Amino acid sequence: MNFNQIFFVSFESLKTNKLRTFLTILGVVVGIFSIIVIMTIITMLQSTIEEGMQFLSKNTFEIRKFPAIMTHGTWEKYRNRKDITLDDFYRFQQMMTDVEVMGAYEAQGGKIVKFGSRETNPNSAIVGVTQGVYKTLNLDIEDGREFRDYDIDYSNHVCVLGNYIVDKIFYNIDPVGKEVRVDGKPYTVIGVLKKKPALFGETQDNYIVIPITTYQSIYGRKSDVDITIMSKSKDNYEATIQAAIGHMRTIRKVLPGQENDFEIFSNESVINQINDITYGVKIGAMIVSIIALIAAGVGIMNIMLVSVTERTREIGIRKAVGARKRNILMQFIIESVVLSLIGGLLGIILGVGIGNFAGSFLNAATVIPYDWVAIGLSLCVIVGVIFGTYPAYKAANLDPIEALRYE
Amino acid sequence: MSRFALLSFEFKESMLIALRAIRANKVRSALTMLGIFIGITVVVLMTTAIKGIDNSFQKGISALGSDDLYIDKWTWFTNNEWWKMRNRRNITMEDYEKFKEMAKLPVAIAPEIDTRQSLKYQTYSVDNVFVLGTTAEYVRTTNFTFDQGRFFSDVESKSARNVCIIGSDIAKKLFPLGNALDKEIKIGNEPFRIVGVLTEQGSFILGAFNPDERAYIPIGCVFRNFMNRAHGSITIDVRAANTAMIPDTKAEAEGLMRKIRGLSFNQENDFGINQQEGLIDNFNKVTGVIKIAGLFITGLSLFVGAIGIMNIMFVSVKERTKEIGLRKAIGAKRRSILAQFLMESSFICLVGGVAGLIAAILLSFLVNQFIVTSVDYSAVVIAIVVSLITGLVSGFAPAYTAAKMDPVEALRFE
Repeated sequence: MNFNQIFFVSFESLKTNKLRTFLTILGVVVGIFSIIVIMTIITMLQSTIEEGMQFLSKNTFEIRKFPAIMTHGTWEKYRNRKDITLDDFYRFQQMMTDVEVMGAYEAQGGKIVKFGSRETNPNSAIVGVTQGVYKTLNLDIEDGREFRDYDIDYSNHVCVLGNYIVDKIFYNIDPVGKEVRVDGKPYTVIGVLKKKPALFGETQDNYIVIPITTYQSIYGRKSDVDITIMSKSKDNYEATIQAAIGHMRTIRKVLPGQENDFEIFSNESVINQINDITYGVKIGAMIVSIIALIAAGVGIMNIMLVSVTERTREIGIRKAVGARKRNILMQFIIESVVLSLIGGLLGIILGVGIGNFAGSFLNAATVIPYDWVAIGLSLCVIVGVIFGTYPAYKAANLDPIEALRYE
Repeated sequence: MSRFALLSFEFKESMLIALRAIRANKVRSALTMLGIFIGITVVVLMTTAIKGIDNSFQKGISALGSDDLYIDKWTWFTNNEWWKMRNRRNITMEDYEKFKEMAKLPVAIAPEIDTRQSLKYQTYSVDNVFVLGTTAEYVRTTNFTFDQGRFFSDVESKSARNVCIIGSDIAKKLFPLGNALDKEIKIGNEPFRIVGVLTEQGSFILGAFNPDERAYIPIGCVFRNFMNRAHGSITIDVRAANTAMIPDTKAEAEGLMRKIRGLSFNQENDFGINQQEGLIDNFNKVTGVIKIAGLFITGLSLFVGAIGIMNIMFVSVKERTKEIGLRKAIGAKRRSILAQFLMESSFICLVGGVAGLIAAILLSFLVNQFIVTSVDYSAVVIAIVVSLITGLVSGFAPAYTAAKMDPVEALRFE
């Protein structure tokens, strides 16, 4: 008997007991559903956060004093590090020649941007930047122009506005060429940035960009800047990071054997950190869900045992006409795997659907957690095999003579 | 036979048949029970864990005092327009003193301000502790109990002596060998003598509010050593006489504060009068999601177990079609057939449920290592009732099918 035939026999027997098959499958559906629905929601939130935090361009990394996400109580560790100054950046720029582009920026929140009598709520950010930052931070100019070298060199009072501010204080007026005020200082608008997608309904465009020299002349020269570096290509990205670490250690006089007193920050490092945080939740959810799956597996085993008893005569006949032990074994294992796989597929469809539905209330982007779909399906196969083996073994070991005589 | 005797006979008969059926299929019954067992175990464990979290919160709230009002620069638990609150004037010690002089209704009034400091004793240290500066009256706004020692006295607080009271977690960390009383520790770089240690509150869920992880010193010491008096905005803790007096006390406090801060009638309050309700609401919002998600997921396990029962009962009915036909042919009523199968399913569930409950009670000792909790009496009752209901509900459809059978057809069944 070949594989196709075994499959056919399994399906036939599942079809004859529709109600029983349905209930057994339902158990697996529920078990898989609970895993998939949780993982879908977690994945949705995670990917939305990740997307929002990926403000760096491709092949770009950042050097900062503080890590991007600090867990409770670690702030003290980083607080005492030296600030990264603009002079550090200029020295660094001279050393690092083999890069596509690099820049430095610093920012402050809680600012009011005024235009005439209109003003934003005091939660806008002001960002001081050098020339290269636009490219590394993925900022595209929609209207007007970027800063030129002389804007930076002469600390010109010019600015580029984020789209949210434009909507907020310029209604139908073209902002380019107009003058806005922040903290009483005037800035001529020379450009407007393209809109970025909102994160959980929060705008990401609520900032005003000015030359870093202007920023420092107003908010203090001895402050901490973030350095962004874009490597020439994907291939020498790692090498560029290593070179940057080396040069930065030289500039900051870190002795051999000492830890870096700065953080390398990249889109990947953010993703890793978020993964670390959600890891515990995922494991917990998985354990609880697997318990439901075990309950479903027990149900499969029970029904398979019944099925074996009911078909004792059929097994006897098949054995009498020459079926081998392993044929019978295969037949029942495949039956139970098919049962749990069908349940698994339905559970995945339900879980992804309902998970996405629930996540849509949080303004998260739609996802299908492919990895968990794969894990769910393999769990189904495992459950089918584990809980199908004993009944199948029982069937395979039936004595054909006894089986045929069974009433 | 009287009607009652008949009923009781039928009942006994159904029960005997049900028990015999369960005994006849031992493996099958055991596996079905296992399904329910798993479901009840996880559901009871989940409720126990939730109870632990709630307990911890309630304990913390009652230790801090549930009839308290907190007059603060900030209105708590609103995210709106923080930039307006930012520009409010600080609440100063002078405000507090005037308030204390004029307020009639409160039973205790104390100022508080906190600073984060490191605590050191010999080689032991705890970083990032919320050190609360206050007056001797503070202890009367709370329900603190003391493991050792006392709260600082009026004299100590007025003259800003270097004395402190520490929470139980801090005491454990700084004095692993016990006996913290009268020892000198360093808060920041200042020496402080410990005059009291609080009893453990076990309210980890409150985070920074948890008294176990705080230290208390006279407010004068905070301004002398850790903070410029001009920069800190204090919170005034006001204890109402009882819960019924909270609205009155609040109204009085609002009026007095407006007077003290010199607000004219058309100006908005430039302070917030906060109640623990805000804290409780916030807590419920966060844990509500966890509770629902937790019970939902564990409930699914129970649901899967119930499906298993229903399935097996259908099989059982089918296998015994001939028997049912025979019983009906010689006069068994519908209801006795129904009772027979319902009894079988609910018996299985009950045994599984009780076993699950026992397992949950044993496992709760494990949970107890992380969250102080225990299985509730109500959880015991609920678990038993839920498993009975599960048995009845999931057994009903198969039992009904059996009861409805046409005896002629049933007898002919092969």
